[in-house]
Amino acid sequence: MTPVQLSFNTAFTLGLMGVTFHRAHLLSALLCLEGMMLSLYMGLSLWPMQLESTTYMTTPLLLLAFSACEAGAGLALMVATSRTHGTDHLQNLNLLQC
Amino acid sequence: MIYFVFVVLMGLVVGLMAVASNPAPYFAALGLVFSAVVGCGFLVGYGGSFLSLVLFLIYLGGMLVVFAYSAALAAEPYPESWGSWSVFLYILVYLFGFLLVGYYCYGWWYDFYWMSLDVFGEMSVLSGDVSGVPMVYSSGGFLLLVTGWVLLLALFVVLEITRGLSRGALRAV
Repeated sequence: MTPVQLSFNTAFTLGLMGVTFHRAHLLSALLCLEGMMLSLYMGLSLWPMQLESTTYMTTPLLLLAFSACEAGAGLALMVATSRTHGTDHLQNLNLLQC
Repeated sequence: MIYFVFVVLMGLVVGLMAVASNPAPYFAALGLVFSAVVGCGFLVGYGGSFLSLVLFLIYLGGMLVVFAYSAALAAEPYPESWGSWSVFLYILVYLFGFLLVGYYCYGWWYDFYWMSLDVFGEMSVLSGDVSGVPMVYSSGGFLLLVTGWVLLLALFVVLEITRGLSRGALRAV
């Protein structure tokens, strides 16, 4: 594994572990998802640059557009949650009375 | 230049460590900004200057501003920085794991050279990504249509989630 592959694989894994283990705030989970998207962007743009194939240069841009959709939906969920529950702590979503 | 790119790569991992170690969302957004800037530098060093520009403008200028704005919704009175003990413990665990994986992969670093995009293209006018990205207008026109449709659909999804007086950001005083 070259250092490039090691770095963005490690970045993706770190973002995944952040989503998995830390659920205090909803916004922290969304930021970890954005970190995963950043590492995917790096990987998808390094792949055609390493292989010298310019045809696949469009794939990171499409990924960026889809991740913008994901970020918009996640932030809308966070706004709705903080409006109905008062905060975005995921602990409050499990309470029976708020 | 090679070792600069190497240092920048480690900066990407360190920035994601700062995000994933569960600090307060202010500091996590700061770590993500650092990681995105470092990723831009890395793409420039590797030869993809247009992709780096897109990452800088769209990701850092568009999405992270929205995230930094909505960090105000997740306000808490005593935000935990990286100096806090629980966060620092996670950073230590992540750093130890990264060093372990890096030591395990160290024997496979035989292809340590960095072949950037235009290493064989001394005679070309445009760099590879500048000539590759406009393919989305000719051959990938269907993907462009799909992406535009998905963005429109996401707009209606967001409008439907935050619709109404009880769920939107606006409050009836």
